[in-house]
Amino acid sequence: MSSLIFTLKEATRQRIDCSPLTPNKLADKSLADIAKTQLMTGNLSERADALFIITEGDSESIEFKGSNSKLDFIGHNMTQGKISVDGDVGAYFGIFMEGGELSVKGDSSIYTGCEMKGGQIKVNGDAGDFIGGARPGRRNGMTGGTVIVSGNAGSRTGDHMRRGMILIEGNAGDYCGSRMISGTIAVLGDCGSHLGYAMKRGTILLNQMPSRGITANFNDCGAHTLGYLSLLFSSFKKLDSIFSRIDNFSRVQRYAGDLAGIGMGEILVKI
Amino acid sequence: MIINGVTIDETFAEAFPMKATRLIITAHNAKWAMISAQAFTGFATSVIACGCEAGIERQLDGSETPDGRPGVSILIFAMGGKGLAKQVETRSGQCVLTSPTSALFSGLESEKNMPLGQNLRYFGDGFQISKMIGGKRYWRIPVMDGEFLAQEKTGVTAAVGGGNFLVLAESQGQALAACEAAIEEMKKIPNVIMPFPGGVVRSGSKVGSKYKALNASTNDAFCPTLKGQTSSDLPAEVESVMEIVIDGLAKEDIDKAMKVGIQAVCKLGSKHGIRRISAGNYGGKLGPFHFHLQEIMK
Repeated sequence: MSSLIFTLKEATRQRIDCSPLTPNKLADKSLADIAKTQLMTGNLSERADALFIITEGDSESIEFKGSNSKLDFIGHNMTQGKISVDGDVGAYFGIFMEGGELSVKGDSSIYTGCEMKGGQIKVNGDAGDFIGGARPGRRNGMTGGTVIVSGNAGSRTGDHMRRGMILIEGNAGDYCGSRMISGTIAVLGDCGSHLGYAMKRGTILLNQMPSRGITANFNDCGAHTLGYLSLLFSSFKKLDSIFSRIDNFSRVQRYAGDLAGIGMGEILVKI
Repeated sequence: MIINGVTIDETFAEAFPMKATRLIITAHNAKWAMISAQAFTGFATSVIACGCEAGIERQLDGSETPDGRPGVSILIFAMGGKGLAKQVETRSGQCVLTSPTSALFSGLESEKNMPLGQNLRYFGDGFQISKMIGGKRYWRIPVMDGEFLAQEKTGVTAAVGGGNFLVLAESQGQALAACEAAIEEMKKIPNVIMPFPGGVVRSGSKVGSKYKALNASTNDAFCPTLKGQTSSDLPAEVESVMEIVIDGLAKEDIDKAMKVGIQAVCKLGSKHGIRRISAGNYGGKLGPFHFHLQEIMK
């Protein structure tokens, strides 16, 4: 059976909260019921069919067409199935996600994978700030799953991240891995300033030394061959990402920090 | 039943339920993986005094191991899950953690799990690092040669221990040669180990003893030097008896191993002094798994 398709009728002035449109929330609903689903746009509540042309299909596989950066909360609390987006998406793409696959052809805005627990998010363009982060005032960011960004990432990638993986194929912005509690961030490109700022534990794996260097609150622990990296690279093999094709390496320069805190985090730079 | 001049006794081997796990030890090269595996499986011939029965299942090349390095798969059997967990923990800590370049992984997926690196991690004194990779947790424990990598848990499965057969030969040398030929073939069967030295045991036991402190004692019915002193089960021409004990993850695995082992012995046949194949049992009262020799060799 083909996918259930939501085609945006026209670019709206207000943002649209798409959180009700996930496979788990639409499971077993008829097309009429789906059309009646109320979506918040600005301060109004609109029927889904007032905003989207809905093409009947299997709700386990949902497509958004004509999407733009005003469509927020796509994949909210998603536990199963697949959502693919043709275009850009707004904020909170995959927030609280627990399972399934989420992908966007274009860019995603801030808080992609915010507090997600499982599943996989693929952003084929650039992603905004706070990928895998915690909502303001919250202490735990993502606790599982994988976020892949084919383009560049904004600032504060993995802020308060607790578990899971964030893979950046392009460059990462400032404060990458800030306040990170654990988990893994890997970056193939360059990183901005203040890498690993206030990082507690976790790993930032870099394919190259950042052009701005490593800050003074990370201590050089020397060059090492780390066996666990071969396992990590093996786990990348199944991913739809450049990470599945890069040559494995296990020889890295290890920096421990942030020494202004407990200093149990690490930045590993390929050598 | 007679195969190539060798009589297959109408008897059965009696085996017991056990708990088991498979571990994979890898290292910088095959030599050091084997050294670590041999240390782990040392003094693990019988649960009677060793706490577990363990052996090397086979060598693995890099394509078969989680970290892409040469490795060895080992099987460990114990009478219960708690005993098994204790043996795995102490042996991992003393024989794998200590072995240069080693890493330790689970080789068995199961619904029930027990700690592997879960407690070894404390050796890291707070510097240990946890990593979740592919849904499994691993511990990176800093050690003097770099990092010791250990998977947090390993699966536990119900298994069978104590499958066996006896080789009755005209001389010690012929019994040994036949057992060596059997072990060579049996090593090719997956999911089984032959835990005794070189896979062969020369001191088969019976239940009980004239001495109160002992639960088991020599199997006098199969001791050739006692033929005139006890109720012997040996004909005049048999001068040496050796036993092969098999532990397996399932009864079918032991069936296969026994079959290829007995076939290898029978291939040598009476021309090489092999007279009979028999098996050890306790009258069927102790173990629920019975391996009838003639049925296996049909």
